[in-house]
Amino acid sequence: MKKAVEFKNVSFCYNNSPQVLSDVSFTLNYGEITLLTGESGQGKSTVLSVIAGIIPNVAPGEISGEILINGESISGKPLSETCREAGVVLQNADSQIIHNTVEDESAFGCENFGFPQDRISRCIEVACNKTGLEKNMATRTLSGGQKQKLITASALATEQKILIFDEPLANLDVKFTLQLMRLLRRLADEGYCILIIEHRTDMIADFADRFLTIRNGKITESEKREVVSNSTKQIPDTSVYSAQKEILLKLKNVNFTVKKKEILKDVSLEVYKGERLLILGENGCGKTTLMRILAKLYKPTGGEYIQNILPSERRNKGSKKWFGKVGVVYQNPNYQLFMPSVKQEIEFNAFSPEYAREITNRFNLEKIADRHPQSLSEGQKRKVTLAAVLAGKPDLLLLDEPTVGQDYNSLFLITNAINQIHNETGSTIITITHDVRCADAFCDRAAVIKEGKVLNIGGKETAQEFFEQLSKEIQL
Amino acid sequence: MTAKEKSSIYPIFGVGLSLFIVLFGLITAKQVSSLYFLGGTYLILLVTGFHKACFRIIIPVLIVSSVFGVLTYLINQSVPSAVSIVSRLLAIGIAVIPGMSIRPIDLTRNMNQINIPRSVTLGMLIALNFTPLLSREIRQIRETMKTRGAGSVINFKILYRAFLIPLVMRLVNISDTLSLSVETRGFTLSGKDYSVYKTVKPSVKDFIILLAVVICAVTAVIL
Repeated sequence: MKKAVEFKNVSFCYNNSPQVLSDVSFTLNYGEITLLTGESGQGKSTVLSVIAGIIPNVAPGEISGEILINGESISGKPLSETCREAGVVLQNADSQIIHNTVEDESAFGCENFGFPQDRISRCIEVACNKTGLEKNMATRTLSGGQKQKLITASALATEQKILIFDEPLANLDVKFTLQLMRLLRRLADEGYCILIIEHRTDMIADFADRFLTIRNGKITESEKREVVSNSTKQIPDTSVYSAQKEILLKLKNVNFTVKKKEILKDVSLEVYKGERLLILGENGCGKTTLMRILAKLYKPTGGEYIQNILPSERRNKGSKKWFGKVGVVYQNPNYQLFMPSVKQEIEFNAFSPEYAREITNRFNLEKIADRHPQSLSEGQKRKVTLAAVLAGKPDLLLLDEPTVGQDYNSLFLITNAINQIHNETGSTIITITHDVRCADAFCDRAAVIKEGKVLNIGGKETAQEFFEQLSKEIQL
Repeated sequence: MTAKEKSSIYPIFGVGLSLFIVLFGLITAKQVSSLYFLGGTYLILLVTGFHKACFRIIIPVLIVSSVFGVLTYLINQSVPSAVSIVSRLLAIGIAVIPGMSIRPIDLTRNMNQINIPRSVTLGMLIALNFTPLLSREIRQIRETMKTRGAGSVINFKILYRAFLIPLVMRLVNISDTLSLSVETRGFTLSGKDYSVYKTVKPSVKDFIILLAVVICAVTAVIL
């Protein structure tokens, strides 16, 4: 098999920092999907940056050894040359999109590479056909999965044969994950070299040809079963708290419409005090909107929302008193962190300084307690946000994809910490997740949302059925 | 959903028109005729395909300029000073209208066609993408401040930290990702072998708009 990328004894460290890669040697081949896994902060994204030429052209550091792309050393080559060979899809596809239409976005790289007009036109047609996108689609209306496909299409249009993906599944549901993985499998079969950096190995393993693991600066080849068994086990439910019969929240025929687009339609739902409700559904079905209505961040455009957390609260939008009792953890932790250290972040609005310390320990954050929250990795930031919100002992906790970007150990730790706190405080928890590994551990009851409507509500079996149904669709 | 196809004006003309409105508006701000120029320009833009941007911008611009006009009058007790500040703010607001109607891709291609330095093109490209992003980010941060109990105006220190730090960090992250995205797709400051997929050409309407605004400016000077 023809070698696409070859690392020969490569070592790297960012300026004045400990070594990230230490004497690393491996190859990536055309016609293969290679999965690179490893715990957060081990240097997976650094590997991507080195192959793409971002290191040392944009992010400086000390690099030694030899990196070959198509048999040629990339040492001393500018980014504009290395990127002609390797296309990169970064963690947040949304932030990479510049133009208004799929056609313009796909044409952007071709124009930069100086392709003539007729060739650009042909390349866009091919890229759109392969990714299933229409070239006149407006980029801002694309779903998360379609945005990932669009960045992939941009790379395909520029005829880059080496494609590198950094956590492409972070915000994708199972259906979009499968669509993307099937596309990548087809591309690999056509001869592309594909490297995927991802924690969600459970979703990728069946599509990958080779498995690399990064640990302590070293990259080693792993067996599929080793990678899968290390990160695909279901996390056990450790909750022992029984929900009460008292209704805490009630939605009666709630609608939510934006610019004539119906996002939620006639939603009726009851949430009981002390229960853990799991909200499931595909990307774009209205889960986050539903959660925002429950949090009083959005006012329903129709129907009625009754809450018994703060009966005196008559306002449609949440007050300071309301958010003293309701904790919200967003998908993106960067908005919620603002104090100068992790310790202060968790103590801010905490129930007490002692409780803040206890929460810090439970989330295993003692070692980084003095660090600035914004200097942490995305996974660590999410842990700090969770800890900071939980330290306020909220009666209602709303979690929107709390486990995204976590390695398996962190996923385990977070799930257990939340359940432990739930056992002690009896708080009501509503969680949105696409992650089958922790879904059961966050669930007393599950509500399945489809196209803005509640399709099904039931116990743990509803969540199991939902994921089983998806798994059947996968096999089809 | 499909996207709209063309900018309302030839992009470089749009940028030039914005600059002209600002400069002329600022230079003549002390004269009442400046208001005639700005009113006339607004009407020209309104009837030549910029109506959406015109309607979006007019209410906030009128509110801000009126508030500052009244404050200036109360402080200086001078009508010309108040007119001057109102004209300046109106000029800035109306100058934004042509810019709002330019698609980033059309501007990039237009700048490439006329060989404007790539550093300027990159700056404009990122700036045009930033404006809608900025308002979205500010809204999101204000919301998260409330949810974390940092929305009170009494504790100014926390208010400042909870707003400014996430905002700066988000903007730095977004601009980093955007610039990395364009660089990894072959955009270079020194690049010479780039091409243009769809050529952008000026239309008769573009020249009419420019001519009408210039006539409006000349009329304002004569008056």
